[in-house]
Amino acid sequence: MVIITHQRDKCIGCNYCVELAYERWRMSKKDGKCTLIGGENRKGFYTVKVGDEEFAENKRAAEACPVNIIQVKKI
Amino acid sequence: MNRRGEGKIELMAPAGSFESLQAAIDNGADAVYFGVEQLNMRARSSINFTLDDLPEIALRCAAHKVKTYLTLNTIIYDHDLSIIKTLINRVKEAGITAIIASDQAVINYARTAGVEVHISTQLNVTNIETVKFYALFADVMVLSRELSLRQVKKICDAIRDEDVRGPSGELIKIEIFAHGALCMAVSGKCYLSLHTQNSSANRGACVQNCRRTYKVIDLEDGHELEIDNEYIMSPKDLCTLDFLDQVMATGVQVLKIEGRARAPEYVATVIKTYNEAINAYYEGSYTPEKIKGWMEQLATVYNRGFWSGYYLGQQLGEWAEAPGSLATRKKIFIGKGIHYYPKQQAAHFKIETQSVAVGDEILITGPTTGVVETTIASMRVEDQEVDTAGKGADVTIPLATRIRPSDKIYKYVPA
Repeated sequence: MVIITHQRDKCIGCNYCVELAYERWRMSKKDGKCTLIGGENRKGFYTVKVGDEEFAENKRAAEACPVNIIQVKKI
Repeated sequence: MNRRGEGKIELMAPAGSFESLQAAIDNGADAVYFGVEQLNMRARSSINFTLDDLPEIALRCAAHKVKTYLTLNTIIYDHDLSIIKTLINRVKEAGITAIIASDQAVINYARTAGVEVHISTQLNVTNIETVKFYALFADVMVLSRELSLRQVKKICDAIRDEDVRGPSGELIKIEIFAHGALCMAVSGKCYLSLHTQNSSANRGACVQNCRRTYKVIDLEDGHELEIDNEYIMSPKDLCTLDFLDQVMATGVQVLKIEGRARAPEYVATVIKTYNEAINAYYEGSYTPEKIKGWMEQLATVYNRGFWSGYYLGQQLGEWAEAPGSLATRKKIFIGKGIHYYPKQQAAHFKIETQSVAVGDEILITGPTTGVVETTIASMRVEDQEVDTAGKGADVTIPLATRIRPSDKIYKYVPA
């Protein structure tokens, strides 16, 4: 199991995560920030649990994020 | 029309927070510029306002006849188009004076929405034909920072001679950068931060890696090349104060101060200094003695050392001597505002760390207060006159300016 966390309010809308992990991320047309698909909002931190098969690509997205607001952890 | 009056130069201040905004208003700015949310060139380094702050910004500034400009000048992608429209619509509703734009999508939508457009430095305007092109969309344009004053004057003259007018029907106004950080890249078009950290300067997320030290290594034999100056990619800060008369003589109409990521006291000091210098120029009292005093003032706040940029025709840049600031003093947080007694003209502070003494130079900043600087003449703790007060003390000092619980108090120490 993998937990992905996104501190959405700090997103600058650069689009890297969408390019690297398209199944999990989309740019919101509403505010130009990225949305974690399936993410649940807890005080501004969006979290989703996904299968191990999504680890590699989301880890790449986290590493590419210029404002370091994506966390990907294996549990 | 600005605060200084029709035909007079406009001093435009950076505002990265309500503290800086108030400091700009209080110290003589004619206009302020600021960003909201993520689509501006200080998306990373400055706190930035939110969309909901726009009416408050517009109201506060209108009360002092200060113009308001929203920066919306990053590279724009398809996924940004909707928020751009929302932003511009809200700018119009709130009564913000204009937007500063570079992307054609932004320029085009603002024009159709009836919002005034100013051309950003990101468009690198360097000649009169480019001015004519953007005159179809914008009334004010900032020129490239890499031009000399001779080139700036030529463009200003040509606008008058060829009667180049913007959408408002007025002659195009030319703006230039007067003070603040310079960038090694032409008009800020830099990819260093993007290449090393995925962090695009052109989306407002520059990590400023140009400000660090670098070595050049010969890969064939492994020799490290000696570089006379370590900070080879970090230019000194632009300062035009000591040749402001030459700047004003070019015919530019707006002087822009860089620094949305800077502290409120930086905005206060730089705006105050330039405001005085501009007024002195108009009054015929712009003297070497005054310039010396102003330059000493400027050196007290964040700076990488000063140079005249490219305005006086230098071919090569001057590089910084340190990674950070060469300011002659720094601030230390000591406590928070508690209460103001208007009748007694006294301010009550809680000292939370360090200590404070009579004779200390202090700084008070807050979102409504802006920036207040003073020297402590006397102070009281528990109704007793004291010379010093330490951590935990409730201190009351005489102060003519109102302070608030949202204020922080700092003391200045030599850097």
